[in-house]
Amino acid sequence: MSDLILQTIVNAVYAASYMSLIAVGLVLIFGVMGVINFAHGELYMAGAYVVVALYAESGMPFLVAVVLGLVFVGLLGLLMEISLFRPLRDNPLGGLIASIGFLLILQTTAVLGFGVRMAHIPPPTQEKIELLNGVVLTHQRLLVIIASVALLSLLYLFLHRTKYGWAMRACAQDREAAALQGISLSQVSRLAMFIGAGLAGVAGALTAPLVSPTPYMGHSVIVTAFIIIIVGGIGQLEGAIVAAILYAFVHTFVTTFFDGVIADITGLLLMLMVLVIKPTGLFGAKDRV
Amino acid sequence: MSQAILEVRDLTRTFGGLTAVNRLNFSVSPGSVHGLIGPNGAGKTTTFNVISGFYAPTTGQVIYQGKNVSGMTTVSLARIGLIRTFQGTTLFKEFTVLDNVKIGFHGSVRSTLIAQVLGADREELAAIEKQADELIEFFGLADLRNELAANLSHGHQRALGIAVALAAQPKVLLLDEPFTGMNPEETSRMMTLVRSVRDRGVTIMLVEHDMHAIMGLCDKITVMNFGSLLTEGTPQQVRTNPKVIEAYLGSAIDAA
Amino acid sequence: MSRGKVNPWLWVAGIVLLATLIALPFGLSFSQREVAVLLVINVLLVSSYRLMTLTGEWSLGHVVIMGVGAYASALFSKRLGVPVPISMLLGAVTAGAVAALLSFPLFRMKGFYFLIGSFAAGEVIRLIWKYFTNPFGGPKGLKLIPGFPDIGPISFFEPLPYYYLCLIVVGMSLFFLYRIERSRIGLTFHAIHWQDKLAESVGVNTFSYRMLAFVLASTFAGLCGALYVHYIGTINPNRFDVEEMVFVLIWAIVGGTATFYGPILGVVVLTVINEVILRALGFDTARPMIYGFILIASVLFLPNGLESLVPKLQAWRTSRRTAPEGTPASEEKA
Repeated sequence: MSDLILQTIVNAVYAASYMSLIAVGLVLIFGVMGVINFAHGELYMAGAYVVVALYAESGMPFLVAVVLGLVFVGLLGLLMEISLFRPLRDNPLGGLIASIGFLLILQTTAVLGFGVRMAHIPPPTQEKIELLNGVVLTHQRLLVIIASVALLSLLYLFLHRTKYGWAMRACAQDREAAALQGISLSQVSRLAMFIGAGLAGVAGALTAPLVSPTPYMGHSVIVTAFIIIIVGGIGQLEGAIVAAILYAFVHTFVTTFFDGVIADITGLLLMLMVLVIKPTGLFGAKDRV
Repeated sequence: MSQAILEVRDLTRTFGGLTAVNRLNFSVSPGSVHGLIGPNGAGKTTTFNVISGFYAPTTGQVIYQGKNVSGMTTVSLARIGLIRTFQGTTLFKEFTVLDNVKIGFHGSVRSTLIAQVLGADREELAAIEKQADELIEFFGLADLRNELAANLSHGHQRALGIAVALAAQPKVLLLDEPFTGMNPEETSRMMTLVRSVRDRGVTIMLVEHDMHAIMGLCDKITVMNFGSLLTEGTPQQVRTNPKVIEAYLGSAIDAA
Repeated sequence: MSRGKVNPWLWVAGIVLLATLIALPFGLSFSQREVAVLLVINVLLVSSYRLMTLTGEWSLGHVVIMGVGAYASALFSKRLGVPVPISMLLGAVTAGAVAALLSFPLFRMKGFYFLIGSFAAGEVIRLIWKYFTNPFGGPKGLKLIPGFPDIGPISFFEPLPYYYLCLIVVGMSLFFLYRIERSRIGLTFHAIHWQDKLAESVGVNTFSYRMLAFVLASTFAGLCGALYVHYIGTINPNRFDVEEMVFVLIWAIVGGTATFYGPILGVVVLTVINEVILRALGFDTARPMIYGFILIASVLFLPNGLESLVPKLQAWRTSRRTAPEGTPASEEKA
């Protein structure tokens, strides 16, 4: 029994790591641009399919495919910003609707290019670490955990140590004030969209060998990401990470000891509860005067 | 002096560690125009928001017609005749002048929802429309009856705002900075309007930043500073009170 | 146009429209008739959705609520043997009741939060259908759901009679929805949308009215579900997933939601494009992508929807402008 609990903890840590990447990306986009990106799950899917195309089908090294996945999906984000979100800057509902349109386009592109069936990806490594008797952490999952921690640390340093990071945080606090300070909103938005999308893409690329991608995999991802950002407080980067860990543990444990559907329901009810009781999120700002 | 229609007893409202209103007491006589003034940050807007049900008091009470109404919502207060207006030109800008006033009559509607959908409330609608037209006339907006509120001049929008509130049949009308941003001509027109509303038997309490604008209007003025009662009296008494002058001068220096 | 008198051209247009709707199926193939049945149902679905949006809140749970009506009506008729016409009404009522319950948590939220909250509530309902095989049939859903009973020689198994049945039910419902909007209730909905604080200040209980809009919209969505399920005969949770919701959004956005006819215009035009043009071109798998492009293009280039073209068309047809009348927000919305 204790082995099962330990194994579940290991699984939850893995889930928390890539969910954090996705949720932080979504929060970054929302914080800076004020738009909910419904296509975020499809950006994750796009990252996974970059690995399908470059690694599984063309034989490129896995890690190279992952990096290219980050860059490619980041560029997709840039495309979204330039073609959709910038023209719709004063229309947040319009931005959301446009992102739904983009979602359909990405999904159909994947269907046309790769078919609707699950893509099979040969695992880059079969090795695993046996932590205790029976408690296993595969190298592939370990890689996801390490990469997530590394990327989030890099992001933290970027946001807190560089001029661009500072500008981005200023925009997330108050866009108008930031603009008055001479920060270029367009530049910061492009950057936020590149990073936010890139994080979703790299999460998809890293986990691709573990999940068997389908063109419709984005749906459950966006639901999860919404739960996390609502629980963590919309616009709160640290909150998103804490909420991702919380959600991953709750979901993994309920899945292991009850059932996947019950776990999904639990997650959604958790989010509804937060929405009702404290809509600013568990880690969100307190009510202002 | 008759019994107060509205009374604030020991009212305190804090936000986190900040005390916006501190043990405030005052009372409003029926049929009067009562001013609540004070320099920036004196707590008058918070007081206004507590009275109008936007915030609950931290401690203390708001008494309306002898009944404790502290913590009641804006909607319930409106139902019993305590109606507030908003700063600036808060209106249904996408509606015509007539429809704005018609919404104001919400509390007068007696027809059931089903009757409304089936159109069985025709008589009531006609009666409301007639009353609305009278109000529109009263506020000098008759020519603009079918104009969108957004297209009205600033002064007309302010008048319409009060017409909407008056349609809700207030016993006490709470006006939130009715003179702010008005030129002298608009101000004098608004003063006439407020007086004529008072003459219809409505008690008026108004919050105002600009002390001079309401000197000629109010029967009694309550002056706040730093969340507390500074002084209270007739315009003449307030005008000559050195503490008031000091408070306003102090804030003028702060603002400079 | 003087008050009380209806423009005679409107009568002519109405009669022509009615005649077209009655004659339409005769010009269609069997499969096109089936599409026509679904189109009529979808007209009510998107119109009921618009009623909800009048108060300013956009729900992502509308299709799931439609599903509540469908599941309820299916279960009432299949499990309890309730006659289908009555089970349909019960389905609609159930959908309204579920909406009433959901109002309590959901209307503590506004804007984006409401959007996400309604989405979450909808997903919870769908997961409940998936999880509880008894009575909902689990992921495979329900099959062999009884159809609408024959009336004399008329069999509603055929698309043609069912089309007329839907036409009557939907026509009556649309009339009802139209009456709601034109009544004082509709004016109050608009008022809450534009200035909820001001509405509250004159005694409008915004929660009750938001709930009323949600319950009414959901009741009609439930009716749509019931009409749908007794025609198709089978349902499963995925029929009511977020993709389907996206279609309702697309119809509403492309058509525009400022007028009563906007969303109807949207669903009719897009269905015709979908069924006639795209099917003829054979772009079956690519269809969602084309929908995506249409959605983006309409948000970018036609932000007020197809309906915004109508006044332009009118202005072009006649130089005379009629004075705006009745509910102002239905005339011009920025």
